[in-house]
Amino acid sequence: VSTSLILVADDDDDILLLVTTRLRRDGHEIVQASRGDTALALAREMKPALAVLDVGMPGLDGFEVLAAIRADETLNDTKVLLLTAKAQESDVRRGYASGADAYVKKPFSPAELSQRVTALLDLA
Amino acid sequence: VDLRNALRGYRAGGVFLALGLALSGIYFVLPSGNAQSALFDAAGFAAAAAILTGVRVYRPSAPLAWILFAIGNLCSAVGDLLSTLLNDPPIPSAADWVYLAGYPLLATGLVMLLIQAGGHHRRAAVGEALIITLAFSLVQWTYIIEAIVDGPGSETERAVAAAYPMMDVVLLAALAGFFTTAAWRTPSFLLLVAGVVPLLVADEIYGLTANSYSSGDPVDLGWMLSYVLWGAAALHPSMRELSQARPRAQELRVSGVRIVVLTAALLAGPAVLLVQEARGVHYEVWAIAVPMMIIAVLVVLRLATILRALERIRLQLVEADRVKDEFVALISHDLRTPLTSIMGYSELALDDDLEPPIDSERRGYLEIVSRSSHRLLRLVDDLLFVARLQAGRLDLTPTALDLRDVARQAAVEGQRRAEAKGIELVFRAGGPAEIEADRGRIFQLLDNLVSNAIKFTPEGGVIEVSVRTNASAVLEVRDTGVGFTTEEAGRIFERFFRTDAAVEGQVQGTGLGLYIAHAITEAHGGTISATPREGGGAVFTVELPRANGNHSTK
Repeated sequence: VSTSLILVADDDDDILLLVTTRLRRDGHEIVQASRGDTALALAREMKPALAVLDVGMPGLDGFEVLAAIRADETLNDTKVLLLTAKAQESDVRRGYASGADAYVKKPFSPAELSQRVTALLDLA
Repeated sequence: VDLRNALRGYRAGGVFLALGLALSGIYFVLPSGNAQSALFDAAGFAAAAAILTGVRVYRPSAPLAWILFAIGNLCSAVGDLLSTLLNDPPIPSAADWVYLAGYPLLATGLVMLLIQAGGHHRRAAVGEALIITLAFSLVQWTYIIEAIVDGPGSETERAVAAAYPMMDVVLLAALAGFFTTAAWRTPSFLLLVAGVVPLLVADEIYGLTANSYSSGDPVDLGWMLSYVLWGAAALHPSMRELSQARPRAQELRVSGVRIVVLTAALLAGPAVLLVQEARGVHYEVWAIAVPMMIIAVLVVLRLATILRALERIRLQLVEADRVKDEFVALISHDLRTPLTSIMGYSELALDDDLEPPIDSERRGYLEIVSRSSHRLLRLVDDLLFVARLQAGRLDLTPTALDLRDVARQAAVEGQRRAEAKGIELVFRAGGPAEIEADRGRIFQLLDNLVSNAIKFTPEGGVIEVSVRTNASAVLEVRDTGVGFTTEEAGRIFERFFRTDAAVEGQVQGTGLGLYIAHAITEAHGGTISATPREGGGAVFTVELPRANGNHSTK
């Protein structure tokens, strides 16, 4: 499995660390953000292969960051995985409709998240 | 009204009431003469004295109404005395002026009590009182006043004679207004009503039979009773409460009495018309038509108010529903975030690749944390689901699917848990069972049934999951578990229902699983049933409409 640069953004420090820890075990390089606007700035600067975005974040929410990434031509190769604690079907549908490559509900199994990430990166 | 409560602390009033009633009886035994007249005249003064005593003893915060009652009764008493002294003078006499002065005082007192009693629906109360008053006045006009006005005698004589039935209308209006408030159940008020009613009845009978009246007539009983009851009302401790501003009643009570009274009021006009017409007697069209028109307007106004209030309530309910929904979503979100950490870090800590590996004791502890957090997550999901269900927001995304596939998936996922408990789980399927349904929901439904079967089946048991088709697609889950009684079968799909066996056996659960299963089945236009098996165990049968058959989604 090749390793990639992954942007992880979540306003909850514990979950940020959880995702980071698990993906680092897979050998990926991680950049972290705890706000939506910082996440977008980092994405533009670092051009990560994948952005793992929490939906509910201060600054910009996950959907807004996703929209900005999709609108940015220099980020065409960046995949986006949305994380959300909202369990409603309407949110899942909105997630896919807004162009996310994957959508993972909280709470998630770190192993399962790792598999989803690997699958997304292998497609690239 | 709780009689015991009503009578508590009513000793003096009780004695007054009993004595008054006894003397009223004696009044009719006595021969016509001075003793009889004296007894009757004394009743009025006694009533006024009793009311003043009540005011002194119970010290109501707004005593004015009661003082007006006392003066009103005193006026009548003086009138009685003058009548006696003048030896039943013809109308109009000095007695009449005193009598007539009393009525407005009594009515004003009642209105004051009415205003103090307030109530949330004061405007409604006034409207209804007006309707009753108008109906009464048109009856009063047709049967009593008109005859007096058109009758013999000088203008003054007729005016004074007509004033009595008019005063009765005023009294009834005040009384009717009070009846539409929440305070009408107060014992003191009931005694007041009991006092006004015989007064009105006596006045009415007198109005109809004025020419044949003489002192000692049975009509006197009404007036005498009225005195006794006014006094008794003021001597009841609840008179204090009655004359105090009270918190507004929140609920709009529609008592049977109120409906009957209002209906009678609405029917009074047409009824009088029909009766007069049938008897071939003259009637004044405007005297009936005008009150009826005003009544019609009042009814429409009242209706408009009610409709507006209903709309307001509906909007409030919609808002409350939205707030509740937001609240549930928020709670769910806030529970999920810490759960993510608990479950995620437990998993990381249990990771086999971790160096150094953890010892088996700690591993065991962490596994319990992990298991419990999964159970907690399931509970949160179930509660969220039920909350959304209650709000009528079960989103279904139906697609074409084969019930066998979903059932197989549920069986496979249950397999590991069943094996861990030493239970055999068998899956059997016949031909294709195509349905149009929400895959996630159907899986949730089947998973609930399979999980339930595993939960309630002891070691060594067998669970059979099978899919077949007839007119519908049929799924069956049979277990050899603790089962339930036939009585419990009727309630098993109720929210939070748990069988005795589940409670006694300390089987974990909230009583939501089958409720959810039932809701999902119904939302798909299907049916679910539970049957106890002979010798223990249960059969759950889900029938879903087959694809291109009839189905409905919420």
